[in-house]
Amino acid sequence: MLLVWLAEAVVFALIVAGILAERPLALAAAGVAIVVAGALLRFVAPLRSALVCAFALHPTAALLGGAALALVLPLALRSSPYWTFVATLALLYVTIGQGLNLQIGTAGVINLAGAAFAGLGGYSVGLLTVGAGWPSWLAVAAAPWVAVAVGALLFVPILKTRGHYLALVTIAFVFIFNILMNNLEFTGGPQGIKNIPTLRLGGYAFTARPTLGVVELPAHANFYYAALATAFLATGILRRLHDSWLGLALNTLRDDEIAARCCGVSIAREKLIAFSIGNFFIGLGGALYAVMVGFVSPPDFDFGYSLIMLSVIIIGGVDSIGGVVLGACLLVPLPERFRFLHEYRLLLYGLVIVVMLLFRPRGLWPAGIRRYR
Amino acid sequence: MSLLEVKGLTVRFGGLVALDGVDVALGEGETLGVIGPNGSGKTTLFNTLTGLYAAAAGEVLFLGQRLSGLETHAIARRGIARTFQSSRLCLELSVFDNILIGMHAHRRTGLLDSLLRRDRLRSEMSQAIERAAHLLSLFNPALPRRGLERVGQLPQIDRRRVEICRALASQPRLVLLDEPSAGMSPEETAQLMKDLQIVREEMPGLSVMVIEHDMFVIEGVSQRVVALSYGRKIAEGSFAAVSARDEVREAYLGGEAARA
Repeated sequence: MLLVWLAEAVVFALIVAGILAERPLALAAAGVAIVVAGALLRFVAPLRSALVCAFALHPTAALLGGAALALVLPLALRSSPYWTFVATLALLYVTIGQGLNLQIGTAGVINLAGAAFAGLGGYSVGLLTVGAGWPSWLAVAAAPWVAVAVGALLFVPILKTRGHYLALVTIAFVFIFNILMNNLEFTGGPQGIKNIPTLRLGGYAFTARPTLGVVELPAHANFYYAALATAFLATGILRRLHDSWLGLALNTLRDDEIAARCCGVSIAREKLIAFSIGNFFIGLGGALYAVMVGFVSPPDFDFGYSLIMLSVIIIGGVDSIGGVVLGACLLVPLPERFRFLHEYRLLLYGLVIVVMLLFRPRGLWPAGIRRYR
Repeated sequence: MSLLEVKGLTVRFGGLVALDGVDVALGEGETLGVIGPNGSGKTTLFNTLTGLYAAAAGEVLFLGQRLSGLETHAIARRGIARTFQSSRLCLELSVFDNILIGMHAHRRTGLLDSLLRRDRLRSEMSQAIERAAHLLSLFNPALPRRGLERVGQLPQIDRRRVEICRALASQPRLVLLDEPSAGMSPEETAQLMKDLQIVREEMPGLSVMVIEHDMFVIEGVSQRVVALSYGRKIAEGSFAAVSARDEVREAYLGGEAARA
């Protein structure tokens, strides 16, 4: 158990060092330390097997340790509001990724319209708060249902097509969404919707800087904790759904629709459930994003973001709940660290995906055998 | 009353008549062999019975009720299970998962149970896994221990057994076996025949329709045989009677050879 916590603490320290190192020397030292740790893990077999054993024996301890470290991360990052923001973004991608993984990974419904469904959540928050004057929390609670409803309208072409054709249908939907947002009057056109009021819970505004005792955190830490709670909830829900009749039926129809039908599985029903639950969490991620940054505009939800969401799943491990968490926590902060590549972000993603598909097609954390626990 | 009654079943693909007015009846607990050369409509018959193809004419009565117009999953839930000529297992999923999907229609826990009342789901699943292990052990006592391996890691004969277990897991009244010996060695085929005998002994009320090219299998397991050729039923009766018929020999061997 101590070994589990020690390993988690080392990973945590390396990540924080890697993020916060500013000067070239410190950055190089952090980089070397990460590479050395990775190499140790890769080439020292006893260490690796000891760690694997420890984590397999104490899953609860590992989860608690991880949760504790996630809770103290804003403390470690308190000097940098920017990195607190990036960490929050990564957590939003965990929520979105879990929803999308149910569709793409578990059910094989290749939905490349993730950005559009996140955009539906974000724009709904904008319209409901700025346009209709709803309080932010109510708008955030309502917005995912808009994504679910629009997804249900789109369900007929989605049910009729599969594979590449399905992917094309969903790609078309992202572009339709973007063109509409750019040209409709009431969504603000290319400017989008500005001045979305921040979240307020019981009089506490999320723009206030929270203090823990004597330590003052950046204002984004509020959203960090909100996103952490959401990501935790989403991951728990999706894990339970994956290890249930739903996950089993979806996996079966993903691999062989005819076999699933001959076993009494209604393809339409199961796919609709998966698609709706997925869109709910994607929309929720988009809604939280909107209240966090305070504005939405068409480029925030263009096709490129669909690809980022897809790569989170592919890098993490298709159909793997843990893989989504890992994928989001790697893929969102890494390009920020390498900012000189920022313009070429899509290029980097493309490259990483090609390399992954070549050398580790099941992802960093491959989906395991279902055990219904 | 017979369990299954097929009357004048006709299926067309464009100009091709794949089934032409076929009548078949099957009683409870009976095993019916379906034979005929390639392209004679055997698999088409199975696909139509399970609702994958739509019939152009004729009707199918199962337990006295018409099946035409029902979707495949609805027919499966009424008690018709099947296997496929080329195995249709999910190779990436575990052996248990591949069998559990057969019990999907009988599940008692819903989405809310899996989220909030996890203990109910767990107990249902452990019962289901026990049942799957029992079914596997009928054929091979070593198989239940491999239940958490991916099906892709099993040899061909065990995969076929998993597929049969999946069909049996749905507690069907009728099982359609589409060429279970396809792609198997003679030893494996002999083993498979024993497996089918076990099914018959364990589930005496279960009706079975089996398509086979291997005449030893047909002779060994079926009580009655139907022969198809070019979508028509050309003979029906005991294996000895059907295999002695000139029409059947002609269909298999061609006119010249049969007369020679």
